Amino acid sequence: MSTAAIDGIAAPARTRRGADVWLWIVLPTTVVFCLILAAPIADLIELSFHAMTGPAQVGAAFTLSNYWAFITDPFFLQMFLRTCWLGLLVTLGCAAIGYPVAYYLARTSTRWRGMALFLVISPLLISAIVRNIGWFPLLSESGLVNWALLKLGVIGAPLPLINNFAGVVIGLVHALLPFMILTLTAVIQRIDVELEEAAANLGAGPLEAFWRVLLPLSWPGVLSGSLLVFTMAISAYTTPAILGGNRVLVMATYIAQQFRTVLNYPAGGTAAALLLVFAALLTLLALQVRTSEGNGQSEGRGA
Amino acid sequence: MIRWLALRAALFLAFAFLLAPVCIVIIVSFNGGPVLSFPPTHFTTHWYALIKPEFFAALNVSLIVAGATALLSVALGLPAALALSRGRFPGRDGLNSILLSPLVVPALVTGVALYQFSLTFWDFTNLALGGTLIGLIIGHLTFGIPFSVRAILAGHARFDYALEEAALNLGATPLQTFWRVTVPILRPSIVAGGIFAFVMSLDDVPIALFMGGGDATTLPVRIFTTVEFDFGGEVMAIAALIVGGSVLLMLVLDRLIGLDCLFGARR
Repeated sequence: MSTAAIDGIAAPARTRRGADVWLWIVLPTTVVFCLILAAPIADLIELSFHAMTGPAQVGAAFTLSNYWAFITDPFFLQMFLRTCWLGLLVTLGCAAIGYPVAYYLARTSTRWRGMALFLVISPLLISAIVRNIGWFPLLSESGLVNWALLKLGVIGAPLPLINNFAGVVIGLVHALLPFMILTLTAVIQRIDVELEEAAANLGAGPLEAFWRVLLPLSWPGVLSGSLLVFTMAISAYTTPAILGGNRVLVMATYIAQQFRTVLNYPAGGTAAALLLVFAALLTLLALQVRTSEGNGQSEGRGA
Repeated sequence: MIRWLALRAALFLAFAFLLAPVCIVIIVSFNGGPVLSFPPTHFTTHWYALIKPEFFAALNVSLIVAGATALLSVALGLPAALALSRGRFPGRDGLNSILLSPLVVPALVTGVALYQFSLTFWDFTNLALGGTLIGLIIGHLTFGIPFSVRAILAGHARFDYALEEAALNLGATPLQTFWRVTVPILRPSIVAGGIFAFVMSLDDVPIALFMGGGDATTLPVRIFTTVEFDFGGEVMAIAALIVGGSVLLMLVLDRLIGLDCLFGARR
């Protein structure tokens, strides 16, 4: 972008005249982008149609055997279901913890609101790796949570809360909670307070008002927040790798394992291609929800 | 009343949950006893003295990569965003979704794809991308560019194109119009896009894990590979330093541009 870019801005906005100039301006970014992302992903997908011939060795012949293995081997089906189960638990956790916070953020107008919003967002700016490490002194056998529960006499022996599936769920709920809260807050804000007051005046208790007024009205937000959190949970690698202690096999940890230690690149490439397609389908679904309901935003990647 | 109390309790628990893993890192980093045991036994700062120099080398790599990623993301994102918001050319909508699509691709998939691509690239050109700073920056541009395009596009929501036309009609050259009208108006979103790219680059593990290695190891990856094998007090100390640095950065950002603005949560 040299003089072409500058000339392009000269073209009056929203006219057809500068059409080809704008094409030239957007060209460098598009080319860079194809080289650094589209080509590698195409290369990865191509890889998934070849067989492994030895550690880090890939055969030349075209084959569907990797995909066939994924369909027929129950090992992969189990892994896929485990991944979805993880996503589901994390989504439920985020919705349960996030809804009251979002409700508060949407309804309060005190000076605490800014502080609360800052607290919700701040974990996003603290490195994911640090947040993951922080769970070890909290959740390990002699950590804070087990120490407190033992002292209180709630449990007789330490609970296994880390280096397992439970640890991954806890870590991902923590990592993705801000996304759920921001999405829900935007939606609840647009619900008229008077509707809640009307429900209360007509004799509904707080719980009934929640179930029959607030929740149905905020359902689009719950749905799009859930799709966002679910997609990010099944795509996350860092948290399952650290908090799972190399023992939790989900799609992401399997892919990394194939590339880092097993050196079966085609198998890893196949799983990566499938994860990509799954995540893309979920995102399309989320867009569908968002446009049909005409609501909210906020998206990102974490964990 | 009861309802308000229940809400308060839920809020308190949620905020405790959000902050716990961050706060505990700082407490534990001063614990003289076994790091993973609670309660702490006695106060010490010796974990900080035990931080290995390779962590500081890794921090250096992280800062270089994040800085370059932020600058290049804005440099490549700004023209694309200007074209997408002003131009009416064939394929514009397609291009729009293509440029924003990487936000759909899981970072791990990008990481292994780039790893595989760097092997193919090596086969054809004998040029190494994996394990170099260039490779890391390329990897981080895959999310840096879309984030800056989106941030700058969002900054166009209330953009008055008449101002550009007015400048041109009053005799400003296109170059003057660009630097003295367009860029100043869009500056907050340009800065936000750059900061986003910077922070995400500092945060990334999956892409840097597969594209880095050797001298090109970022701080998060160095920590990641360390805790895979062994969990010592010096890891807690470096983590506590990162928390301190992040809080400082956050306060500065909040003062300068406002965090909720940055995240678009305010409406």
